[in-house]
Amino acid sequence: MSSVIIRNVNKSYGTLPIVKNLNLEVQDGEFVVLVGPSGCGKSTTLRMVAGLEDITQGDIDVGGRTVNDLPPHKRNIAMVFQNYALYPHMSVKENIVFGLKKSGADAQTIQNKLADVSEMLKLEPYLDRKPADLSGGQRQRVAMGRALARDADVYLFDEPLSNLDAKLRHHMRTEIARIQHQYNMTAIYVTHDQIEAMTLGDRVVVMRDGIVEQVGSPMEIYLQPTNTFVATFIGSPAMNLIEATVNENVLVIDDYHIPAADIANVDLTELNKHHSVLVGIRPDFFEDSSLNSPSDNVFEFNDIQVDLVENLGFDKEVLFKLGGEDSKARLDLRSHVQRKEHISLTVDLNRVLIFDTSTEGVLLNPGALINPTDLSDPNG
Amino acid sequence: MMNKRTKLQSFMLYALVIALVVFCIFPFLQILSTSLKHPIDWGNPSLIPKILHLDAYKELLGLMPPKDVDIPASIQRLLDNPALSEAKKQALITKFTSGGDVFSFGRYMLNTFVISLVTGVCATFLASLAAYAIARLRFPGQSVMANGVLFVYMVGGVLLMVPLYQMSVSVGLASSVAGTLFSLFLIYLIQTLPVAMYMLGNYFRTIPFSLEEAAMMDGCSRVEAFWRIIMPLSKPMLFTVFIYCFVIAWNEYLFASVFLKQYQDFHTLPLALQTLFTSKNAIWDRIMAASMLTLLPVIICFMLANRHLSGGLTEGGVKG
Ligand SMILES: Nc1ncnc2c1ncn2[C@@H]1O[C@H](COP(=O)(O)OP(=O)(O)O)[C@@H](O)[C@H]1O
Ligand SMILES: [Mg+2]
Repeated sequence: MSSVIIRNVNKSYGTLPIVKNLNLEVQDGEFVVLVGPSGCGKSTTLRMVAGLEDITQGDIDVGGRTVNDLPPHKRNIAMVFQNYALYPHMSVKENIVFGLKKSGADAQTIQNKLADVSEMLKLEPYLDRKPADLSGGQRQRVAMGRALARDADVYLFDEPLSNLDAKLRHHMRTEIARIQHQYNMTAIYVTHDQIEAMTLGDRVVVMRDGIVEQVGSPMEIYLQPTNTFVATFIGSPAMNLIEATVNENVLVIDDYHIPAADIANVDLTELNKHHSVLVGIRPDFFEDSSLNSPSDNVFEFNDIQVDLVENLGFDKEVLFKLGGEDSKARLDLRSHVQRKEHISLTVDLNRVLIFDTSTEGVLLNPGALINPTDLSDPNG
Repeated sequence: MMNKRTKLQSFMLYALVIALVVFCIFPFLQILSTSLKHPIDWGNPSLIPKILHLDAYKELLGLMPPKDVDIPASIQRLLDNPALSEAKKQALITKFTSGGDVFSFGRYMLNTFVISLVTGVCATFLASLAAYAIARLRFPGQSVMANGVLFVYMVGGVLLMVPLYQMSVSVGLASSVAGTLFSLFLIYLIQTLPVAMYMLGNYFRTIPFSLEEAAMMDGCSRVEAFWRIIMPLSKPMLFTVFIYCFVIAWNEYLFASVFLKQYQDFHTLPLALQTLFTSKNAIWDRIMAASMLTLLPVIICFMLANRHLSGGLTEGGVKG
C-alpha cells in the first residue's frame, strides 16, 4: 500500500487539452472516487496513474517515487477495467492468479490468495470456466478478483459497475465497500454515478471538463457544494436552483419573502451586493408542513400547487413551480399530497445555499461551515 | 431469418448450390476416378471404375514388390504385334521393367513437405510480428509499409522469375543446392508474407487492446503481453495462416521449375508431376494417382483449417 500524488498534471491529445492542471493526493489506505459526467477526463486521469497514457505535463508519484517514465508493468498497480478485459483463453482461476504468478509469488501464496479471493467474491463454482461461459455479473467479479488477488500498491477501478443491471450494481457496490474496509486498500475509483461516489468514497473528487470542481468527503460535497455544477451533479433528484431577487436582506421568490438573515450559510453583506441569486434547495430538505412541529429556523412556502406526484414507495417526489422553475420536493409516505392540491412546504433555512447567478459559485458565510459532527443527520 | 421461403425457392436454391458444388469438385472426382481405374477401363466415361485398381497408388508409395513392375497394357499391345522383331521386343521389355527410372514419389513428397513446412512456420512467425507492429504500433512510415508489402502482388511471378534467378546467381546462392533451396525459401516467404500479414493484422485488430493493457497492469511488458495474450488468442488464425503458406509452397511450380531444374533429387511434387507427364511413365492411372496424392495434404489442411476457424477464441473477454 502506498500513497498517490498527482501534481499539476496536464494531458492533451494533440492540441486539445483533456485534463487541466490536476492536483490530487490520495493517502495510504484511502479510497478516493473520481466522479463527473462522461468525457470529463476521469478515465484519462486514471490511465495516466496506471501508465497506460503518457502525461503531457506534471508529475505522478506512487509510494514516494515519481512514476512518469515507468512502464505500467513496473508500477505495481492493479486495475479493474470498465469492459473487464478478462483473458478469454484462460479459465477464471488462471485469470485471477495471472498477475500473482507474474510477480513471482510462491505456490502456497498463490493458492491462499486464490482461495481468499474466490471465497470473498463467491467465485468458487466457476473457477474452471472460461469467461465466455459466465454472466455479466460473474465476469465483473472475476475482473475484481484478478485485481484484488494482486498485492498491488494501488488499486484502480474504471467504472467497474457501469455494465451491470441496477440490482446487481447495488449489490456489487455494497460488496466493494465491504472489501475496501477489509483490505484497507489505496484506491482510485472512477464513476459517473454520483450514488457510487457518495457511498464508496472516503473522499470524492468531482470533475468537469478536465478540471477538479471540488474535493471533499461525501457529506461535505452533498451539503456544501462549492458551485451549482457540484450542487446539481451530486444528489438525486438534483438540487432545485430557484432564481430570487435580492431586496435588502430579503430574498424574493414569487410572492415569498425569505429573510436572508436566517439563512445560516450566506454572508449578508456579500448577498446584498447582488441583484439576483440562485437559491439552492435540495428536494430532501422540503417537508410537508402539516406533519412537522414547527422548529425555529424554517421558512414556509404556504401556497404550493402540486403539478405531479411520483410515488416511489417510501418516498414520493412532488413536482411544483417555484420562481418559474420546475422544482422537486421529496416527501415521505406520511404525506398524502395529491395532484392539483395546494399544500404548504417547509424548508430548513440552515440547509439552503445561495449561488451567484453569473459565476455559479456558492456565496458561503465562512463562519457558517457546517460542523462535521452533525453532517450525518441532515435534520440536525 | 428467412423462414418464409417457398418450396420452389428452396428447391431452386439447393439445385443451384449443388450445381456449383458439382462444378467445383468434378475435376477432383475425375482425378480420383481415373487413378482408381484399371487400364481396360480408361475409355469408359463413367466416373465409377468397373474394378477398383490400386496398383498406381501402391507403385507410387513403393508398396509394389519390384518384380511386379508391369509392362503397361499399351506396350503389351505393341509387343503382341507379330510384325515387331524379337530383339526390339526384348529392348522394350527391359526398358519398361528395369525399374531404374521408377518415379521416386516418396522422395519428392518429402522435399515438398520440408520446404512447405519451413516456409509455413517461418512465414507465420514473421508475419505475426510484422502484423502486430502494423496493427498496433505507431511509427513513421507505418502505412507505407503496411500497403507496400501488398505491392508484391501486383507483379506477376513470371516477370520476377528471371531477375530473381539472376540475383541468386549473382550473389552465389544458385551455385549450391543449399543456396538454391534457400533462395527458393526466401521467395516463398516473400510470396506468402503479404497475405499472411494482412490476415493476421486484421485478426489482431479484433482483439481488444484492453486485454493487452490488462496484461501490462498484471506485470507483463508489451512483448510478454504479445506472447502470452495475443498469440494464444490468435491460434485459429495462426493455424489458418500457416496452412495458407504451407499450401502456397506445396503447390508452387513456377519458381521451383527455374531454381531446381538442375537438382533432380530436390524436385518438389508440382515439378515432379510435370516431369511425370512427359516421361515414359506417363500413364494415366499413375499420373492421376500422383495428382491425387499431391492434392491430399491440401485437402486435409483445408478441412483442418475449416474446423479450427469456427470457434471464436476472443469471445467473453470484454463486455459490449
Ligand atoms: N485517444 C484519444 N484521442 C483523442 N481524444 C481522446 C482520446 N481518448 C479520450 N479522448 C477524449 O478525452 C475526453 C476524456 O475522455 P475520458 O477520460 O475517457 O472521459 P471519462 O471521464 O468519460 O472517462 C473525451 O472527450 C474523449 O473524447
Ligand atoms: Mg471513462
